[in-house]
Amino acid sequence: MEFVSPEGLRLDGRRPTEMRQIRAELGAVAKADGSAVFEMGNTKVVAAVYGPREVQNRSQQLSDQALVRCEYSMANFSTGDRMRKPKGDRRSTEISLVIRQTMEACIMTHLMPRSQIDIFVQVLQADGGTRSACINAATLALADAGIPMHDLVTSCSAGYLNSTPLLDLNYVEDSARGPDVTVGILPKLDKVTLLQRISCRLCMTDTTGEYKGIRISTRWINYNEG
Amino acid sequence: MVGLSLGEKHFIQGGIAQDLRSDGRKRLTYRPIYVETGVIPQANGSARVRMGGTNVIATVKAELGRPSQLQPDKGKVSIHIDCSSTAEPVFEGRGHEELSTELSVSLQRSLLGGKSGSGAGIDLSSLVVVEGKICWDLYIDGLVVCSDGNLLDALGAAIKAALSNTGIPRVQVASSASGDEDQPEVDISDEEFLQFDTSGVPVIVTLTKVGKHYIADATAEEESQMSSAVSISVNRKGHICGLTKRGGAGLDPSIILDMISVAKHVSEKLMNKLDSEIAAAEASEDES
Amino acid sequence: MAGKAGATPTTYTPSPKTQRKKPPIFKNDDVDWVRPDGRGFHQCRPAFFRTGAVNAAAGSAYAEFGNTKVIVSVFGPRESKKAMMYSDIGRLNCNVSYTTFATPIRGQGSDNKEFSSMLHKALEGAIMLETFPKTTVDVFALVLESGGSDLPVVISCASVALADAGIMMYDLVASVSVSCLGKNIVIDPVLEEESYQDGSLMITCMPSRYEVTQLTITGEWSTPKINEGMQLCLDACSKLANIMRSCLKEAASASDE
Repeated sequence: MEFVSPEGLRLDGRRPTEMRQIRAELGAVAKADGSAVFEMGNTKVVAAVYGPREVQNRSQQLSDQALVRCEYSMANFSTGDRMRKPKGDRRSTEISLVIRQTMEACIMTHLMPRSQIDIFVQVLQADGGTRSACINAATLALADAGIPMHDLVTSCSAGYLNSTPLLDLNYVEDSARGPDVTVGILPKLDKVTLLQRISCRLCMTDTTGEYKGIRISTRWINYNEG
Repeated sequence: MVGLSLGEKHFIQGGIAQDLRSDGRKRLTYRPIYVETGVIPQANGSARVRMGGTNVIATVKAELGRPSQLQPDKGKVSIHIDCSSTAEPVFEGRGHEELSTELSVSLQRSLLGGKSGSGAGIDLSSLVVVEGKICWDLYIDGLVVCSDGNLLDALGAAIKAALSNTGIPRVQVASSASGDEDQPEVDISDEEFLQFDTSGVPVIVTLTKVGKHYIADATAEEESQMSSAVSISVNRKGHICGLTKRGGAGLDPSIILDMISVAKHVSEKLMNKLDSEIAAAEASEDES
Repeated sequence: MAGKAGATPTTYTPSPKTQRKKPPIFKNDDVDWVRPDGRGFHQCRPAFFRTGAVNAAAGSAYAEFGNTKVIVSVFGPRESKKAMMYSDIGRLNCNVSYTTFATPIRGQGSDNKEFSSMLHKALEGAIMLETFPKTTVDVFALVLESGGSDLPVVISCASVALADAGIMMYDLVASVSVSCLGKNIVIDPVLEEESYQDGSLMITCMPSRYEVTQLTITGEWSTPKINEGMQLCLDACSKLANIMRSCLKEAASASDE
């Protein structure tokens, strides 16, 4: 299948290093301490943060830092085919772990010992790049909750199809099973906090696309702050 | 869960007794309802309903399936509600299951009618493509994104809005298929969609009893003070399509009958309000 | 047929049961229609209760309404298993399960997931939870055979079992359901009637206090019909409660001797 036309356009009409349209909104969940909706094209994610608050399960309490927990779930209507079991499969456990680790690295956990921060991420629509969208949404929700962080994490994915590095894959490009990479960076500190490679059949990774992704998401976050 | 001090509890109860609730409403007034349709483009129909802090999404997906042996002239509808853990941290893991089942069952009871299918808000016979062979299966999925009381009414409204937003593709049955074959071939149109008739879909009115009085559209704080609640679904004709009682305390039968008549009255207003909101949402969706 | 003499069958084939029979087709104005078990429209099945069915439990009861057979055991009040938060009232834990052979099609009983929470709601209002703080009472119901009106039978039987266990209650809880078939309202429907019903109404009440603890309605009902159905149920509930009470009295007087 041809993912990049001879004119250099992708299936949805984007250039290879062009991102989908991004939209973000804070405070979508009124009752949470912090919440955000994040959209990347058709991918739509809600994140809610509860905490810092008392640790529910005493045995998990940490005396020198906050306990960060995360749950990722997909709504049954989020994918094209209706899902039967929305919670607790391997994939969501893995993504929960990835989000938790990424967020833990940027939250100043040492400021809130013996407390707990819950991050809940709900995918409303999945169209590729849910991992990145979830991380972006979680960052915004944490910021909305006023939780001290070293920096905002921004994340984006990139893939490599038809010998072209492609930024921000959608579902069709994602399911082509080419090599792809998800990057999370702390733009102000200029540090990479997350780097995940999936099905890396080619040794040559698309550093340009990846880097471009980082650059664009940085710019976007800066814009959002301003 | 809602943690309230004794003073706050008295304030809520006292306000209800004096017909002036903490957010300024009267006992039987609803919070403003906001409807947004077409929020999930991947589904055949979808809607988001907001009432105060309560925020729910309902979607309708239509798939071709086989009608059941017992009722060859009817399609199938299933309702499934999920409570996202974003709404309440206790819903994490399996914590949401009890509430999800309760909501799903109450909605099934209100919308799908009796076992024979009569009294259903959704006309099941309109879902049949070829009798006994092919029918549409409607999967109605609800998701609670944020909960601030009165989930059932909000979900009922969202499902009604999502159903009015639903377009079912027109299906052409290939004429070459003879009766001998098991499954006739069908051609699903991409352009032509049939609008779903939702005039018979009831609205749900939950009356929550706090102290001696009952209130409509309770918030989470008010629900924490309830002794019992009755959810009544009423259709256009003013007939009761389903009733569920929640909460432990017993009620005198005459009070229940009184609640039913009040619910009928309230439902009329709610139904009109909801219809105009849905129409407005559809109009704004067409524009954009 | 297997029963034919002279054939000397080597294997036993059960004769097809009457369940295969087509349901009676009745019209809306047909009042002469006979119910599958020959009862009148407003006539309940004979109810039978017996306490002390399970020795290991603190209290238990067995109930039989026609083909519906239910056993309920009550454990507690005992220490709350999970390390739960302090509460100054007791907890009630209910579970309704079906045997795999309870339904005509094997394992169909698991469709009724909501029964556990409905049993909980029906009983919660009647039990004086404040009399056993920090502890849990477990109510386990098992439907041995499903013959229609399962939930009302489970609820009534559970309240007898709770009384047998000596759990303090405001009143016995009796439950009755009616089905709406065309224009007719039939009380205490059997499985066959339930599967063809247009609507159903179930009432759980405490007859001496004249309070409804649980009420569910499905299908389309007009107000006069609701009135009629509720009145039928409430009358039947108070009669049922008398039967339950006499069963408990019998058990108590038997243990005194």
